[in-house]
Amino acid sequence: MLVPLFWLVVATCAALAAWAGWFVVRDRAVVLRQLWAGAVVEGLLVLQAVVAGILLATGAGDVDGALFWGYVVTQLIVLPIAAAWAFAERTRWSSVVLLVATLTVAFLEYRLLQIWGAA
Amino acid sequence: MSATASRRGRATGAGPGRLLVAVYGVLALAATARGLYQVTTKLAEAPLAYVLSLVAGLVYVVATVALATDRRRLAWATVLVEAVGVLVVGTLSLVDVGDFPDETVWSGFGRGYGYVPLVLPFLGVAWLWRTGRARDARGPDRHGGDRALD
Repeated sequence: MLVPLFWLVVATCAALAAWAGWFVVRDRAVVLRQLWAGAVVEGLLVLQAVVAGILLATGAGDVDGALFWGYVVTQLIVLPIAAAWAFAERTRWSSVVLLVATLTVAFLEYRLLQIWGAA
Repeated sequence: MSATASRRGRATGAGPGRLLVAVYGVLALAATARGLYQVTTKLAEAPLAYVLSLVAGLVYVVATVALATDRRRLAWATVLVEAVGVLVVGTLSLVDVGDFPDETVWSGFGRGYGYVPLVLPFLGVAWLWRTGRARDARGPDRHGGDRALD
C-alpha cells in the first residue's frame, strides 16, 4: 500500500535535497520556492499518515503501533524546523540544514517501509 | 559574502553552528523517540538500557536547545556528558552484554546511528572552543548574516 507513496516521498525528497545541495555549492541561502517544495513533501507525508491510519483502522495493515507512529511524528517535525531555520539563518548554512533535513526525511521514510513490512 | 557574514557572528547556533544544531536535533529526536518507545512498551526486558536510552535522548535535547540558544555553559556540560556517555556505555556494551541486551543510542559507540553519537560530542567541543575564543577576541556579537529571505 505504502509503496507508490513511498517512492513519491523519496523522489521529492531526493529532488529537494539535490536543489539544496546545489545551493550549498553556490553559497546561497534557502529561497522561498524551496520552502514551497518542502511544503509539498510535507503534504505527501500528511497524506501518507492519513492513508496508513485508515489502513490500520480497517485492519488492512498490522504494525507495531507505537514504533510506527513515533516515526511518523518524527518525520513530520523535521521539515518545519528546517523551514524555520531558513528564515533565521540567511546564509549557505540554511541550505546545508535543508539538505540534512530532506535526507533525514528520506531515511525515516525507508525505516517506515521496513516497519510496515516487518509485522 | 555569506561566509564572512556568518563568521562575524559568534553565537553557537549561527552559521556553521546551524549544521551542528540540526544534526544534534535529529539525533535528539531519534534517541528520545526510541527511548520513550522502549520505556513505555518493554521496560522490564532491560530496565538499565532503556532508561539510559531515554536519558541519553533527553541530554541530546538539552544540548540541542543550549547550542541553538547560545547557552554556552549548559552546552559544554551536555556535550561533555555525551562524550563520556558514548565512551563508557560503548565500552560496557561490548564487555558486559548482560545489562545491555538491546541497543541504545550509545551502544557499540553509536554503531546503530552510523557512529554519529561518537563523532558529534567532539565536533561540539571543537565548535564551542572555537566560538568561545573568537568571542573573547571580539566581544559578544550575536548576529549572523542578515540577508532577507528572497
